[in-house]
Amino acid sequence: MAEILRTFRLYWRLQRATARGAMQYRLNAVISVLTGVVYQGAGFAFVWVVMSTFPSMDGWTLEEIAFLYGLRLTAHAMSMMPLSALIGLGWMVREGELDRVLLRPLNPLVQLMTKRMGVGQIGDLLTGVVLLVVAAPSWTPGKVAFCLLALVGGALVEASVFVAMSSLSLRMMDTFAIRVFVDDVFSRFGSYPMSVFGGVAQWVLTFVLPVAFVAYIPAGVLLDKTGSLNVPPAVAYLGPLLGVAMFAVAYRIWQSQLKHYHSVGS
Amino acid sequence: MIRPLAGTARIGLRFQFAYRSDVIMSAVALIAQVFLLRMVWTSVYGERQEAQGMTLEALLAYLTLANLQAFAINPIIPRIAHFRIRTGTVFFDLIHPAGYLPQMAAFQTGHTAAGLLLMTPAIPVVLLVGSITVPAQPFGYVATLVLGYAIAVMIALLIAMIGFWMMETGAISLLYRLTSQFFAGTMVPLSFFPGWLKTLAQALPFQYIGYVPAAVYVGRIQGGDVLRAVLVEMAWIAALAAVLWMVWRRAHRRVVINGG
Repeated sequence: MAEILRTFRLYWRLQRATARGAMQYRLNAVISVLTGVVYQGAGFAFVWVVMSTFPSMDGWTLEEIAFLYGLRLTAHAMSMMPLSALIGLGWMVREGELDRVLLRPLNPLVQLMTKRMGVGQIGDLLTGVVLLVVAAPSWTPGKVAFCLLALVGGALVEASVFVAMSSLSLRMMDTFAIRVFVDDVFSRFGSYPMSVFGGVAQWVLTFVLPVAFVAYIPAGVLLDKTGSLNVPPAVAYLGPLLGVAMFAVAYRIWQSQLKHYHSVGS
Repeated sequence: MIRPLAGTARIGLRFQFAYRSDVIMSAVALIAQVFLLRMVWTSVYGERQEAQGMTLEALLAYLTLANLQAFAINPIIPRIAHFRIRTGTVFFDLIHPAGYLPQMAAFQTGHTAAGLLLMTPAIPVVLLVGSITVPAQPFGYVATLVLGYAIAVMIALLIAMIGFWMMETGAISLLYRLTSQFFAGTMVPLSFFPGWLKTLAQALPFQYIGYVPAAVYVGRIQGGDVLRAVLVEMAWIAALAAVLWMVWRRAHRRVVINGG
């Protein structure tokens, strides 16, 4: 237990140092954040323009989709802000940089996560939170609590997939293309009512790559639409737990891949 | 004059082939995008036969086509120009007798040609995932598309020249790509834009990269309006040529050659 607390304390300290580091390039940071806002804003502008002509998308109003969009963006930012440094993992393995990480007395994943900060994701977070607040249904204490759990659960779903795929880089596999593809699927399809995509695609996005659990299913609960989901209401209510379970599995995959790591020896 | 430019175009072609795995990845993204658009639009149309003068069938063909066009036209000039300014290799482009702007345009043309070749296997999949109809006005389509391509290349040249004033252009290029794609109407035809946004989109040249050719193809723009579109495109090309010439006169005096 003391070990875990120490890890968390060091994570927090290192993360603060990385944030300070990122803020040294202030203009660059501001531009990254703004670019994130414009990028996500442009994505939402599509929904807004379409729904200025059509009042409903499979029974969802513009406001409801805005809420769904905000939920997904916030969860996405929450998972990628701490993890974006892992994008460079393949390079670190090839250059032998990872050896240095393994020699230090701190969890390697924590060290890697705190190497760099995802400044661009702050823009995603801002856009997500604004949409979430503006389009929110009337809050009750229960809904606020579920929303927070859903955000953590959703972030963990995306984080698990990302960590599991990144861990393959430890074995010198080039996962860049597949990572880009999966990330693309999460961000492209995650912010729409899944029923729009038709039976097969909806099934795949729910049970194979659980994109639906990031935002669509929790948004269904928060907007009282559990009847229209393709999972029973009980599963929808327990949805946030999926992220926890998936992350536990992803972390085990990470650990086992790390055990098989061979240095390039340069 | 023509020979060296053909050489540059060939380099652009090879450049695209060298990065073919990038092309494959963006082809997969293109297929996902067309699928998403098809499902979303089919869902919102529901039982409706027609909206803003377009049937669902025409709309889906429009979207498929507009996204294929955007994929093929994707400008490389700002990226290349920025890289060559930063590394100082722009020096070789500047002393080349063919002139800087024609070289960049030739490079883009070669790059586009290779992109078209590489995407050929993906086209049937895209058409299957999306949908297509026979062209309502084949000649009008080709004319508006070719002129639209010229407009796209000229705007890309203008964006690239920002690199002579600023060393960091990544954010500007991304912003340009987002705005131009949005106002080109690759996800929503301009006719669906609400009031003021439509006025703005119709005042901008980006519509000629996506909306206008694709709308001519499906017959949303017809008869005299096609001719008018062609004339307006020519006017844009003339205006952009004048602007390019003026900006270039200032830009090449500001050039800083890095390295040595």
